[in-house]
Amino acid sequence: MEITDLTRILTGLLCAVGFFLCLWLPRVDFGKIDSDRKVHLGFATLSGMAFFKLLALAALFAVPAASVAVANYHTIEGVHGVESCNRCHVMTPMVTDMHDPHSQTLAARHFRNGWIPKDQCYQCHSDYGLAGDLQAKMEGYRHLARYTTRSYEEPIKYRGVFPNDNCLKCHAPTPKFQAVPSHATVRARLADNTLSCLNCHGRAHPSREQRTPGHTDYPRLMGEDE
Amino acid sequence: MKTLRLQSLAAALAFAITGLYAIDPGPYQMAAFVFFAQPLFVIAGVGYAWRVWKDLKTREVL
Repeated sequence: MEITDLTRILTGLLCAVGFFLCLWLPRVDFGKIDSDRKVHLGFATLSGMAFFKLLALAALFAVPAASVAVANYHTIEGVHGVESCNRCHVMTPMVTDMHDPHSQTLAARHFRNGWIPKDQCYQCHSDYGLAGDLQAKMEGYRHLARYTTRSYEEPIKYRGVFPNDNCLKCHAPTPKFQAVPSHATVRARLADNTLSCLNCHGRAHPSREQRTPGHTDYPRLMGEDE
Repeated sequence: MKTLRLQSLAAALAFAITGLYAIDPGPYQMAAFVFFAQPLFVIAGVGYAWRVWKDLKTREVL
């Protein structure tokens, strides 16, 4: 069992406890609690008022804070898997193509050859979305809002420039990369992103045309012709 | 502080949304958690803090 599964279970348990506390809490009239009432907890004895106020604190502050913290851990750390990206159908063409043994895109070649053993989307897009820095997180929230409100058009477009650092973090230190003379020639341009790795190494994913509804490749990429 | 009905209702709704997100973390559940459940938790927490503050002022503790 992975830590993301544990966080989901913990979130579920906290929510169940919190939900039932919140169903019960409105029935308590704090103005009518008997001042002589005592509540024995085994290790301590509290006045009725103190006990119910502590329960209110738990229901409306402590348990919600814990639930939000654990659920946000899942939101930020639990979205690294390919299946997380594939939950949004606009990502399906990329994932289908990556798993296609005949595809020649960079993503498919990396997957086929086992160059990236797990979390393949995240390893090449580690600066993206809820897993990245604050700006990337804001971008992730924007994508989430646009996807769920359907305020987007297919095919989706990459906004900005794909940072070469995502490629270079793995490739730059390798002797194979360093042995290519043209890599040394364009090192500065690769570093400042004025030249993309894709210029020489081909497409990373299916083209925008292929991902457009109505294109002959679209049903295959959406997994509809299987 | 008499009752905490609205705060409890907001928190219960937020717990329900968060629980659904924990069970099935799809994009719509994630959006509901991020854009609805979290603000509801904040509303419940702030509402609770306001009632406590008012209660303490009434009792002249503050």
